[in-house]
Amino acid sequence: MADDDYNDVDMGYEDEPVEPEIEEGAEEDAEANNNEDIADPVAGEGEEKEEQEPVERPRKTSKFMTKYERARILGTRALQISMNAPVMVELEGETDPLEIAMKELRERKIPFTIRRYLPDGSYEDWGVDELIVEDTWKRQVGGD
Amino acid sequence: MTFEQKARVMPWRTLRFNESVCNPYNADFDGDEMNLHVPQTEEARTEALMLMGVQNNLCTPKNGEILVASTQDFLTSSFLITRKDTFYDRAAFSLMCSYMGDGMDHIDLPTPALIKPIELWTGKQLFSVLVRPNAQIRVFLNLTVLEKNYTKDYSMCRNDGFVYFRNSELLSGQLGKATLGNGNKDGVFSVLLRDYNTHAAATCMNRLAKLSARWIGNHGFSIGIDDVQPGYLLNKEKKARIEEGYDDCDELIQSYNKGNLKLLPGYDAAQTLEAEISGVLNKIREKTATVCMEQLHWRNSPLIMSQCGSKGSPINISQMIACVGQQSVGGRRAPNGFIDRSLPHFPRKSKMPTAKGFVANSFYTGLTATEFFFHTMGGREGLVDTAVKTADTGYMARRLMKALEDLSIHYDDTVRSASGGVVQFLYGDDGMDPAKMEGKSGVPLNLERLYLKVKATCPARAQASLSPLEVSKIVNDKLAIHDAAPAGGCSVVFKKSLSDFMDKKMDTKRELQLDEGYTGNANPNIPVKVAANISGITSQQLQVFLDICTSRYDSKRIEAGTAIGAIGAQSIGEPGTQMTLKTFHFAGVASMNVTLGVPRILEIINGAKKISTPIITAPLECENDVKSARIVKGRVEKTTLGDVAKCIKIVMTSRQASIVVTLDMEGIHALHLKISANSVKQSILQHSKIKSMMKHHSIEVLDDRKLRILPSDGDKRKLQFELHSLRATLPNVIVKGIPTVERAVINKEKDGKCNLFVEGTNLQAVMGIPGVDGCKTKSNNIIEVKETLGIEAARKCIISEIQNTMASHGMSIDLRHMMLLADLMTYKGEVLGITRFGIQKMKESVLMLASFEKTAEHLFNASFNGRVDKIEGVSECIIMGIPVQIGTGILKVRQSVKQEVKLNYGLDPIIS
Repeated sequence: MADDDYNDVDMGYEDEPVEPEIEEGAEEDAEANNNEDIADPVAGEGEEKEEQEPVERPRKTSKFMTKYERARILGTRALQISMNAPVMVELEGETDPLEIAMKELRERKIPFTIRRYLPDGSYEDWGVDELIVEDTWKRQVGGD
Repeated sequence: MTFEQKARVMPWRTLRFNESVCNPYNADFDGDEMNLHVPQTEEARTEALMLMGVQNNLCTPKNGEILVASTQDFLTSSFLITRKDTFYDRAAFSLMCSYMGDGMDHIDLPTPALIKPIELWTGKQLFSVLVRPNAQIRVFLNLTVLEKNYTKDYSMCRNDGFVYFRNSELLSGQLGKATLGNGNKDGVFSVLLRDYNTHAAATCMNRLAKLSARWIGNHGFSIGIDDVQPGYLLNKEKKARIEEGYDDCDELIQSYNKGNLKLLPGYDAAQTLEAEISGVLNKIREKTATVCMEQLHWRNSPLIMSQCGSKGSPINISQMIACVGQQSVGGRRAPNGFIDRSLPHFPRKSKMPTAKGFVANSFYTGLTATEFFFHTMGGREGLVDTAVKTADTGYMARRLMKALEDLSIHYDDTVRSASGGVVQFLYGDDGMDPAKMEGKSGVPLNLERLYLKVKATCPARAQASLSPLEVSKIVNDKLAIHDAAPAGGCSVVFKKSLSDFMDKKMDTKRELQLDEGYTGNANPNIPVKVAANISGITSQQLQVFLDICTSRYDSKRIEAGTAIGAIGAQSIGEPGTQMTLKTFHFAGVASMNVTLGVPRILEIINGAKKISTPIITAPLECENDVKSARIVKGRVEKTTLGDVAKCIKIVMTSRQASIVVTLDMEGIHALHLKISANSVKQSILQHSKIKSMMKHHSIEVLDDRKLRILPSDGDKRKLQFELHSLRATLPNVIVKGIPTVERAVINKEKDGKCNLFVEGTNLQAVMGIPGVDGCKTKSNNIIEVKETLGIEAARKCIISEIQNTMASHGMSIDLRHMMLLADLMTYKGEVLGITRFGIQKMKESVLMLASFEKTAEHLFNASFNGRVDKIEGVSECIIMGIPVQIGTGILKVRQSVKQEVKLNYGLDPIIS
């Protein structure tokens, strides 16, 4: 399972140039979140959360996929695949549902949307294909 | 299990894992058993693999140090292989190279270090191969580590303790625990993990494990009786030392008996004697230990093990070979179990070293009967201590966990409890993940090492180096761009540290006057080149360096969903189990005992109103003047009338009876106290006990130094009693100083500056004393700080107190965990202890409280009052069997409907 996607890296944490990780364009400011006025009277009531409309405003949460999101998505997808959901990628002999899910994620083919709840009950929807999956195994520093 | 992320279950219900992961499992092989839990759904399996897998948890979130690393034999063999004088011929070197893998890796044999008369490779080269077996693997390891035995002069260190990897080549240094072991942030595996990835670190660890296990099996490493036999010289030396020490002790005892022992400040004669003797005896052991370590042969196995850090300390070795030393029970020498003596083998009231538990023999020579008994006394204390502290720390950990369990990072970067209460606006003030911190004391990056790496990986070649002004301009520009970037800028602290660092790097240039002010020299090229070699940086290097810094800083942010409360509770609770329960500590010269260890942690966490050793640290306005320090001390410390009165006597004349108090003005002036007869009068009048009596008395000030107290004119028959009771209470009247202060001690810092340690309470009064710098006065009494300075000061006090306590036991915990705990304890506006009562005020959930303590009470009250529980927190969700809104539960996943998958049910058409 996990071995395989490490194996392709095995030949050495490949020689990649420094990846410019900061991509312009996405609207996001982690620090600025604090000035966001959470003057929401319903802040306490958790039950209403689901009923709230998605807020029409630029999304402000991080554009990176957290490891929890990654695990959740892979888990959910693996479960689906294990129960015979159609696979979105070309298989090369993989049989383990998790491995297939990982392959799908690598090719950004997982048909999911992540709903991120802010503490005031509002939420932001992010497609899996919009989020940057940080490949910790591909990080390379320096290089000449 | 280890790096395969699979449990390897062997026949007969046994299992197998790599020795490197003993640490996180806390496993040893003294009969340990393990339980296997098998995730039952695909989701559970994935989450376990992604979040709990060993590979993803090489670092501890406690402080970011590496937890999975080489241990024991691996360290020993690395140490032996990398000795300076170890050389291998082609056959041996190739064999060792093949040990590293399973015959699957391609290995590029490096150029031999010696070519003539025969090709020879050094052991250090083997480690270059280990880190980077072939040219296809692009791992460039750059690091410097100071090993335990490092002396000086960098790579010319005579013990070869300066480990220097440059571009994956081991240039100098004998590898040991600091480089390969756990509990380090700059070791090989940490650097591989940070600069490359977990896989790089894991494969390297695996290679080392394989090499070591196979190599040391052939090489052999064991310990025999000859390893612990003292030589002739050591025996002679030891005998001389012990005799010397015994003579010193005899002298001390004699002067004690004569009563002319020079007292230590704050001690009486008996305590002074004990302290002095303990000092002498400890010195004996230390001296014999140093002699012992010097005398050992370099091939001595215990010596090797202690040098490389795999097992044992110099103390263990010298106890085996030279001298076991003083046995202590409760921090003192062996107590008297019999009448006036420790054992009936000794004369009564004997203070001799042997009679109070000094063991002069070594484990090799064997202990005498009495020595053995003393040794068991010391050993028993250790056992009892461990048994008792497990219960104490266990309960503490449970309470911490209950209080912190539901704190998590939300998507807006705030730390909130399950009910939405904001505990921190930005986790740890910078939103960084403690597990990912590279620098010492929780700094995100180790700039020094990164700089070294950049300079090594991107050689300057022909490019010109930048001038200091250009450098600072580029740095500032880069930081400005990064701030404007959508990912969000860096914290102010980080920016400052970065520009300061670059500034410092440019110092050499400035010193050689090669900055902008530079105006032609006779031979300008030489100094320029020298400076460029020392501290020059080309624009490309600088660009790469800054890119790495900023991008890596971004990747170290803590992620939304992290159960940071639980992590913090564990990070504070776990070190507690390692602390010895009863520890008292000397703070400086001033013989002042401060509670430390578990009792102190408990005090802080409980939010105790009364702590056992309240101490106020008061810096002085005139720091360098001992005289003025004494004056301030006199004002702080309480002075009673008895201390300053020459006499207090009852004067009977034929007409009246009175008490006359005469002040000792010389003494008062000598102590620089501002006491006059008038001030004494005021003090007497304010004394509570006398106040009630005084209604009828009157005080006359006769002159500057004399007062007369006239009793009431009431009942003449009671006059005698009245006078005598007055006479008895008067010496206790406090005429100067703060009543709640036990004593004050002047503490001299190393740099000659003085400050005052005040034992006792009343921070406000101490701050108000003239001569004390009130702005910098600190107290360790949290509740008092809260009452005097407010809740924010209390928060700060909690943080610094926990940190001090932990640091005094040599434990490093990321500051952010303590901040979180302190914030939780103070965010309601008052200091709440992590106790039943405090937690009750922090949390609303009935179920959570019921699952903690007083279950029935909480449930009954809740049902009586019709309370509602929203099932938000961790405990409630677990009780109800609902997924928790933390970690993977913080988000919802929806199927995207955008891409519709066309499914063709039924058989494929034969003809289309």
